[in-house]
Amino acid sequence: MPFLQALLNGILVGGFYGFMVLGFSIIWGVMGIINLAHGEYVMMGAYFAWAMFRAFGIDPFVSALLVFPIMFVVGYVLQWLIINRVVERPHLISLLLNFGISISIANIYKLIYKADYRSVTVAYAGSFQLAGFTFPTVKTIIFFAALLIMVGLHLFLHRTRVGKSIRAAAQNKEAARIVGIDVHRVYAITAGICIGLTAVAGAMIAPIQPIFPFMGPIFTVRAFAITALGGLGRIPGALLGGLLLGIVETLLTIYVPGAGAKVGTAVSFIILVLVLITRPQGLLKGLRPVEGGA
Amino acid sequence: MAQPLAQTVPTRTAESAPILKIEDIYAGYGEEDILRGVSMEVYPGEIVCVIGPNGAGKSTVFKAVYGFVNVRQGRILFDGQEITNAKPQVVIQRGLAMVPQLPSIFPQMTVYENLEMGLFLERDSRKVKARIEYVFELFPRLRERANVMAESLSGGERRMLEIGRALLIEPKMLLMDEPSAGLAPLVVRTIFELVRELNTKIGLTVLMIEQNVRQGLEASHRGYVLELGRITYQGKAQELLNNPDVRRTFLGGR
Repeated sequence: MPFLQALLNGILVGGFYGFMVLGFSIIWGVMGIINLAHGEYVMMGAYFAWAMFRAFGIDPFVSALLVFPIMFVVGYVLQWLIINRVVERPHLISLLLNFGISISIANIYKLIYKADYRSVTVAYAGSFQLAGFTFPTVKTIIFFAALLIMVGLHLFLHRTRVGKSIRAAAQNKEAARIVGIDVHRVYAITAGICIGLTAVAGAMIAPIQPIFPFMGPIFTVRAFAITALGGLGRIPGALLGGLLLGIVETLLTIYVPGAGAKVGTAVSFIILVLVLITRPQGLLKGLRPVEGGA
Repeated sequence: MAQPLAQTVPTRTAESAPILKIEDIYAGYGEEDILRGVSMEVYPGEIVCVIGPNGAGKSTVFKAVYGFVNVRQGRILFDGQEITNAKPQVVIQRGLAMVPQLPSIFPQMTVYENLEMGLFLERDSRKVKARIEYVFELFPRLRERANVMAESLSGGERRMLEIGRALLIEPKMLLMDEPSAGLAPLVVRTIFELVRELNTKIGLTVLMIEQNVRQGLEASHRGYVLELGRITYQGKAQELLNNPDVRRTFLGGR
């Protein structure tokens, strides 16, 4: 495969990664919570798309729109009822809590859907040619949808009242309280948006990804690696980190024989370890202390 | 040196009621009471300064008023209404603004955005614009820096932004927790002059905590001395500055 085509494939995957990581990165940046259940929300989105496709023949990209409000409510309620009780307490507590939540979700899904691999096969699963390159149709749609959502999220965070209150809470919690922002409500809204968007990412990749209850952890690990590369809570950073990981993963799979099957999932770990050893503060402005905020 | 304001205390008529009344409060963190029976009054148009050594509970007084710590006993009245253990949002809406000791700006927002956030609870955008315009008139420096990220302001400019933002809500009173903390001596003087100017210009009522006893009291009408969670002295600022005990303890002189 020519190098440029491989690069293109990496960029398409990377755009998706940049979008997939946003929920993880923003929750970390705003609340200082490391959401170990991140991958499980990807999984829930993917199962939703699969179930809607199987039952009603609904296209996964339509499901991606439908799943947002549902998972927004799930995220909001989860934060309001449970996670707000441990937010701003030592990080280990929220870390363990989210670890428990991730195991619970994965096993509940195993009970409901069994551990079998599921897949969604859409009619446009192939690819098209453009300017001498091969574009896998689904991945291309995902890439542009991801960019569109990122722009939308950026505008939301910078132009709307709620968005500004989220940024304010991330930058200075005491000050946010002083100007009258209900920080715990902001946390719940943030969790709703982040978990909603994460599920959207899950629904979108349903056509190109085997769906099973334990597919989550690799996405959580990728989220860690991308955050180390691109930094916390910043959308351009997430995109850059996502692109880097996507390109590295794709090139390794293509140019190192057997790497895709054998080290594939380890790539994220290796990148994470390398970044932490060489630049513990992250590659860009990167991994600041969790108190630092977005 | 600036002329103390102590002589210009507004004359209280029988009708004038305190705008802030703290009645014998006990408050603190966890099991322990930091404040043990503190009472204070602030009248409209006054600048009142609370001084005391580290750990005396000065900041706790403010946190109690603002609902950041639990008040176990006693009452706090603001503008005739009880605000004991009220949430910060409620206290703000009653017209009590606060400039905390720790930096309270949003570093990665512009000066203008910071001011907008100060009126977070106001949904009428025309009113927000008008109020920001009003603050820009009080602080022309902030207008010049409107589109600059707050993190690149100087220490004095930051404090100015914090005060300006607090004034956006047209507060009936302003709480200031150590306005001089972390500022260069020259800047401290500017900030106190600013507070006095606001007091004469717009009749702003201020209750402040100060580590910097001399400058704090010189900028004030009245003062309270807080030690080990209790008020040990109170009176006109000039009287406290002349009080031998206060001088010995806080001013290092006779």
